[in-house]
Amino acid sequence: MTAMNPKAFPLAELAGQPQSPPEAAFHSASGGELPITSESDIIATRQAVRNAAAALGFGLIDVTRIVTAASELTRNIYVYAGSGIVRWRSVAKAGLVGLELTFEDHGPGIPDVQKAMEPGFTTGRGMGLGLPGSKRLMDEMTIQSAAGQGTTIEIRKWLR
Amino acid sequence: MSVRLPSVNMSSENIAVLKVQDVLLVSVPPDPDDPTVSALQERVLEAMTRHDARGLVLDISTVQTLDSFFARVVTETVQMVALMGGRTVVAGMRPSVAVIATQLGLTLGHTETALDVDRAFERLRGPAPGSPAARPIPHGPR
Repeated sequence: MTAMNPKAFPLAELAGQPQSPPEAAFHSASGGELPITSESDIIATRQAVRNAAAALGFGLIDVTRIVTAASELTRNIYVYAGSGIVRWRSVAKAGLVGLELTFEDHGPGIPDVQKAMEPGFTTGRGMGLGLPGSKRLMDEMTIQSAAGQGTTIEIRKWLR
Repeated sequence: MSVRLPSVNMSSENIAVLKVQDVLLVSVPPDPDDPTVSALQERVLEAMTRHDARGLVLDISTVQTLDSFFARVVTETVQMVALMGGRTVVAGMRPSVAVIATQLGLTLGHTETALDVDRAFERLRGPAPGSPAARPIPHGPR
């Protein structure tokens, strides 16, 4: 996706910040992490991610896109791996500011990532829309997974 | 900025199932967790029998996030209510939710929808879509 019309206010404020937020900003509005161990952590993640996205200056539709993707991927951690962790932080690239979310677990892994990205494919009880749907809602998505070792999924959305 | 709310574990007692004439009206809470969504389905089905209702209006006007789990439970509930002889109208989906649901590929099957609760009740007074009698019926001024 190409960058266009970055919003003046958040960019001017954040463009000067280092790419990795300092540890002090660990649980600031735009950076933090949450362990996922129970069903109610899905809701906690949605609320935290909603706040982080809104604080960065995303509009309602983009906030809803990001929160929905986060909800899908957090539920995947809970359903398939049992536990894991969700991290979020603001990132910068070529004059753009964005939000990056990382979903990490040490569960069974995804044996065939390509297959898992096909709409409708599921090994669980879901509709098979979580992974491909999340990719459509975000600007970038990377999946690292090895059978028996776990899964790390990164998603990014850029402010424009 | 917005305050981070403590994660409240909602129980099914927080879900009000109202009976309006022969139709059930259920308002889905703003940010329901998975157990709440599942509990809602159970309560609705149980109330359909208990109140001998012929229809259900599912008000989702406060719902901010419609993900695939929620969509699946809604679609299933509509099918279950249909198997019991009832008809469901999902009412009040927010514009932002409609945009995301479409992008995510959530279609809610052939679920009937309405802009708001008023229009949902209006719909339930008319014939089901596809039925032989499915034509506009005047029911006086709104």
